[in-house]
Amino acid sequence: MSTRDIVLVALFAAIIVVLGMLPPITFGFIPVPITAQSLGVMLAGCILGAKRGAAACLLVVLLVAIGLPVLSGGRGGLAVFAGPTAGYLVGWIAGAFVTGLIAERLVRDSQTEFMQFASFFLAAVVGGIGVVYLLGIAWLSFMSGKAFVETAIASLVFIPGDLIKAVVAMLAARAVQAGYPLLPIRT
Amino acid sequence: MLTGLDIEGTTLLHRTSARLKLIVLFAVAAGLFAVSNVWLLVAFAIIAAGLYASTGIGLREAFRRVRFVLFTVLLVALANYLFHSLSDALAVLFRLGTLVLLAAAVTATTTVSAFMDEIAVLLRPLERLGLLRAADVSLAVGLVLRFAPEILARYGDIREAHRARGLRARPLGVLVPLVILTLKDADTIAMAIDARGFRRQ
Repeated sequence: MSTRDIVLVALFAAIIVVLGMLPPITFGFIPVPITAQSLGVMLAGCILGAKRGAAACLLVVLLVAIGLPVLSGGRGGLAVFAGPTAGYLVGWIAGAFVTGLIAERLVRDSQTEFMQFASFFLAAVVGGIGVVYLLGIAWLSFMSGKAFVETAIASLVFIPGDLIKAVVAMLAARAVQAGYPLLPIRT
Repeated sequence: MLTGLDIEGTTLLHRTSARLKLIVLFAVAAGLFAVSNVWLLVAFAIIAAGLYASTGIGLREAFRRVRFVLFTVLLVALANYLFHSLSDALAVLFRLGTLVLLAAAVTATTTVSAFMDEIAVLLRPLERLGLLRAADVSLAVGLVLRFAPEILARYGDIREAHRARGLRARPLGVLVPLVILTLKDADTIAMAIDARGFRRQ
């Protein structure tokens, strides 16, 4: 990685940290307030691409592990990894990577606006929701003893909020791609 | 703003080396899954709570730090109680509870720099292979700590600029300028790092 890549990764990790400090966003049509931090994971892949996006998430996970309160609500430290939902946090790394992989291959500068939106949305849903939930639920099942099926099903209540985040990530990623493109596009 | 979760002190846990604490923590984590006797797990949980309290952390702060994780543990235990049996629920509750309290005790007694030293040791094999440099990792950690407050201040500025123009605060209207303005700084910061020869390539 070049110095510029390291700086981009660190700045994006800092953006994810800041997203955790903001008050939760509330939408009129959904009763549960959603925290913006996991939005940062989708954005990392969509804006920086697979490698740098995953590195930014890895950096955030590292900051949590070394005892810095960087997660939403000022959470941090090794206790987070001892809990049953740690898989979602570690899943961010793979999630951002897959988001980036898909975005790098689907998004083109010559595409119509609609196709670019569709590409970013698909990347955010598959990587930022699919992969994160896959790892999160796998870990949850391992930690939750015999009731793993029930807890796995219960965790699906967060899907609607995450779909809204994927829409926000899609809109923001396209705007950033138009204003300051950084995504390494592969043809 | 971003200060470590370690608290000052000279207790036994503070004096133990970070590496030993981490090795013991991982060994206990693996071992706990082999134990299914509820009374034994309760005893472990009491010992873990005692260790956490012995770090000199106040009761209120101690609870504030672990309440969210303990809440998720409680939910998982509740699911076990509802769909299986009370003994399964108690085993999960005290097994994960022990782990959470021990992990919190390690975090409370280990400084961020002590953790970074252990990270550097763990990265040594990767460094030998030429894949990653430990110095780059600590540079990145330093950059996050340096720029997170600045990005938060920038978020406030953008919100204020919108308010001054009578615009309603919408998440997207703040997010996009925040990301673009922040990432645009990367070139200048990278140049400043290279000009000072921090990475010595």
